[in-house]
Amino acid sequence: MPAISIDTFFACSLMVLLVLSAMTVTAKILQPLISTSTNVEAAQRLSEVARRMLLYAGKPADWGRDELMVPEEFGLAEVGEASPYALDIDKVSRLNSKNIYGLSYAQIFTGLKTPDLSFRIEIKPVFDVRLKLTATSEGSDETTYTFEAATERDDGIQVPTVLRAYVLAESLQRAYEIQNKDGKTSFNVTIPRSLENRAILVVFAKFTYNSRIVSYTVYSFAQSSEKSAFVRLSPLNHTLTLTPTSANIVLENVYAIAHNGVWRLTQNGNVFSIPALVDPCPTVLVVFGLNATQPFVEWAAYPQVPLQVGVDFANLLSLSDVYAYTQLVSIGFGIYKCTILLGGPKT
Amino acid sequence: MKGRNSGQIRIIEAFLAIFIVFSAVAVSANLTTKSASSTSNGLEAIGMQALLQLDFDGSLAAYIAAGNWSGLRETLNLLLPAGVVFNLTVYDSQMRQVNMETVSNGAFNSQEIALVKYVCTSQSPVFRVYVVYLYLAVAK
Repeated sequence: MPAISIDTFFACSLMVLLVLSAMTVTAKILQPLISTSTNVEAAQRLSEVARRMLLYAGKPADWGRDELMVPEEFGLAEVGEASPYALDIDKVSRLNSKNIYGLSYAQIFTGLKTPDLSFRIEIKPVFDVRLKLTATSEGSDETTYTFEAATERDDGIQVPTVLRAYVLAESLQRAYEIQNKDGKTSFNVTIPRSLENRAILVVFAKFTYNSRIVSYTVYSFAQSSEKSAFVRLSPLNHTLTLTPTSANIVLENVYAIAHNGVWRLTQNGNVFSIPALVDPCPTVLVVFGLNATQPFVEWAAYPQVPLQVGVDFANLLSLSDVYAYTQLVSIGFGIYKCTILLGGPKT
Repeated sequence: MKGRNSGQIRIIEAFLAIFIVFSAVAVSANLTTKSASSTSNGLEAIGMQALLQLDFDGSLAAYIAAGNWSGLRETLNLLLPAGVVFNLTVYDSQMRQVNMETVSNGAFNSQEIALVKYVCTSQSPVFRVYVVYLYLAVAK
């Protein structure tokens, strides 16, 4: 075989080998860029879906107020609101599964019109109020409870607030105002011993520097404090519907409590009218009643937050790409934090 | 002689091809540098959310009109996520700086800084326009 043929064969083999290796190296280098652009496009799409849920009022636009209406197209925005990210108080309340008029996951999923996406919606105050009973001292006819109150964000940052605490037991017992400059404070409440097993403590916290950033918590002194055990509270369209869980339930007093005060609600069957308060705080609705002879107390907030609805993605991260979209929203006069998690097929 | 050297020329061609191909690979490798715009877009969105919510009821202009800079700083600090550093400057309609006090929660030590420009108006009887520049960065 002539030397020229060997040289040519060697050169051609070298070129083919190097072109192939170059293609492999190029493909490996460009792969992250290609997959990144795919991920960015998917994230943009999911972001738009989440934004639409918060900026679109849905179809029909007033589906929140009518307890029997299921939205053809899902959206949480308030109708006619000039500011973006203002959510309708009733649409938000209908996301809560404790509300008998709450939408099911399937109804929301159908209204969302994105069959390839599963979702989870979480709405809660910007910060939390945590109460811890630290001491009790019993007097002759009263008991004094000492609570430690902490107002802090999820990440542990403490929030300076003004606390307003109400103690109710059949009727308003006492109201307290507590300055909480460092985000942590303690205070005492006193309850007559005869009313201890049906008393409730409602604490509102307003951020010191902005009255629209509020939170609340409820502490029940009653031994049996299982929620919705005796009656289900379903606030909607400024009315409260009570649904007793058994025929032995007798309703006594129903109150609406806000930062500014306490109102006793007037009864019309099992429906009560909630006053339209110009207050950024959620209104806490408290029901006192009897189950045969056993007293009970139940409560719910209006808007019915904090709430979580949808798929729990904690165990599904290996099966789907999950995108989290967090947005500050207005509900009524208050500011809340809304997180929408959307899960699509794994790319 | 000419025919005998043509095989060697092809080897030189092959090495030239290697050089060209690997030059192309080296250039394409630079394309994978991470785009910085996605981070700053996220910060801009976060900053805009906070300003929008504060302007919902005119609180933002009220803080500025009252010179309540500590209140504005604390409120932004609460509304913005942990780990986000901000610096806010307010200008009037003639672009003269209004805040003589620093409205910030820390020093910037990141090269990626997002800027949100926001125009708000006061709701008091005297109509005033404020231009708010909110600089944001991720704390390191």
